[in-house]
Amino acid sequence: MTLFLHAVEQGLIYGLMALGVYVSFRVLAFPDLSVDGTFPLGAAVAAALIIGGWDPFLASLVALGAGMVAGAFTGILATKFRIQGLLAGVLTMIMLYSLNLRIMGRPNLPLLGRPSALTAAMQALHLPPSWGLVLVAACLALGCKLLLDLFFHTELGTAMRATGNNPDMVQALGINPETMVILGLALSNGLVALAGALVAQYSGFADVGMGVGTIVAGLASVIVGEMLLRPRTVLWATAAALLGSCLYRGAILVALRYGGALGFTASDLKLLTALVVLGALVAPAIRARLRGEEA
Amino acid sequence: MILEVCGITKTFSLGLEKVEALRGIDLALTQGEFVTVIGSNGAGKSTLLNVIAGTCRPSRGRVRIAGRDVTRWPAHRRARWIGRVFQDPLRGTAAHMTLAENLALALRKGPRGLGLALSHARRRLLAEALAPLDMGLEGRLNERVAHLSGGERQAVTVLMATLSRPMLLLLDEHTAALDPANADKVLEITERLVKENGITTLMVTHRMDQALRTGSRLIMMHKGRVQLDLRGERKQGFTVDDLVGLFRKVGVTDDELLLGQQPLKEATA
Ligand SMILES: Nc1ncnc2c1ncn2[C@@H]1O[C@H](COP(=O)(O)OP(=O)(O)O)[C@@H](O)[C@H]1O
Ligand SMILES: [Mg+2]
Repeated sequence: MTLFLHAVEQGLIYGLMALGVYVSFRVLAFPDLSVDGTFPLGAAVAAALIIGGWDPFLASLVALGAGMVAGAFTGILATKFRIQGLLAGVLTMIMLYSLNLRIMGRPNLPLLGRPSALTAAMQALHLPPSWGLVLVAACLALGCKLLLDLFFHTELGTAMRATGNNPDMVQALGINPETMVILGLALSNGLVALAGALVAQYSGFADVGMGVGTIVAGLASVIVGEMLLRPRTVLWATAAALLGSCLYRGAILVALRYGGALGFTASDLKLLTALVVLGALVAPAIRARLRGEEA
Repeated sequence: MILEVCGITKTFSLGLEKVEALRGIDLALTQGEFVTVIGSNGAGKSTLLNVIAGTCRPSRGRVRIAGRDVTRWPAHRRARWIGRVFQDPLRGTAAHMTLAENLALALRKGPRGLGLALSHARRRLLAEALAPLDMGLEGRLNERVAHLSGGERQAVTVLMATLSRPMLLLLDEHTAALDPANADKVLEITERLVKENGITTLMVTHRMDQALRTGSRLIMMHKGRVQLDLRGERKQGFTVDDLVGLFRKVGVTDDELLLGQQPLKEATA
């Protein structure tokens, strides 16, 4: 039961990151690797500010803003300077590695005993520690999901969705597709950095290496959620990202607890995750080939 | 003058090789003119439309729309005044979005705000705009555009291109990928929408009979130049055979007429 609660708790907090990856990967069709840098950026900014005595809510908001700036930077590299999307993301990610070290002053910054936005919200609402954290995480994740759903039904949001689908059409309708990409990546990385800030507060530390594999974990969440819910609308797609994130965190917790018996360790997780994503990405091609050969 | 194109040249460099797609085009369209454009393959028709729309920057020359020099404007900024439809029906719509969402994007040109894309009033407005297409699309507003046929998608694209009543409509062989019945239907819809909204139009077509029948003026392009500019009664008196004769005169050989351009074969057969 506690394992289940922890999986949901973590799944929902990391779910913000999955929502961010959904925005770049699915909505904009832009495989954005900067998330591997913006996730720890959010953690580093929030941790440094909280240690500096800032209110944890404010610190988390600043982290979100920092992520948006970094995302916009990737967007500008990819559009105004016409650097390939993957490379633009890698450049931002590498720059952020150094920057994150600067922000933290050292590779690992413990937050033990410092106030956390999640527990502060729990206490303010007088929730019991047993399930209070899950409820706070759920409100936060669902709140972000609903705001995102709403945004994607505004004029600006539909224009952004159309950009990932058909940039020629968007341009012909008087919208600058480059602006849409920059805004979309800012939104995506803002969410990812907010997730990083909350994960740092949840786990009690920020670490410069905590971003490695963020994109793969995010993709795994989005893809697993899609396989289960088969979403046809934005509402279902964002729900799928959150569901996928919970399942993914659950799988990790199970693997960590019982994996030892089967002989694998925590360090094998990234390999396993990448294999899941790889499987999901090549499945359609293999299915098509099989169908083609049958015909 | 709605559109003025002055001294436009365009040279593409492919490594050491240079392709002169446009070699000096001058063209002026007055309000409400409907101009059809014909020409052999590679004559520069698509390039001319791209230069006007701003997706291709000319090597030399100026483009003015409603008196304003837009030569250096990016395409999305000019798009406020220009509607476009391409040959490929897939290019005009966002397949993963619903019909209503696609049309709502076309209601207004320019930057977007945070207002809701679809209200009840807007849905009604869009259904009313779809009804005259006579394809039953007004009942399919919530369907993804990917489910529509090529003809339906192209009809929707033409509607989207005219919905915000642009000053200028650019059509690049927009019926060429459709079967004859759908091509006629989409052309009919185009003519009606252009007339209702009084939009100045430039329509590239490979069918000479269609070019003669449609619109108020006909332009023939060859090797990056305008070879013929027919208006009014002169245009009405012209036949497909007259056009074929002119093509021969400017040096399009019978082989090119037959091999290079299939539609000419149809027309002469
Ligand atoms: N982007 C491009 N790069 C290089 N050459 C091009 C490009 N676009 C068009 N061309 C060349 O310019 C010439 C005119 O092309 P186009 O305008 O497409 O002709 P049309 O539409 O009349 O068939 C052709 O020789 C074509 O190969
Ligand atoms: Mg062409």
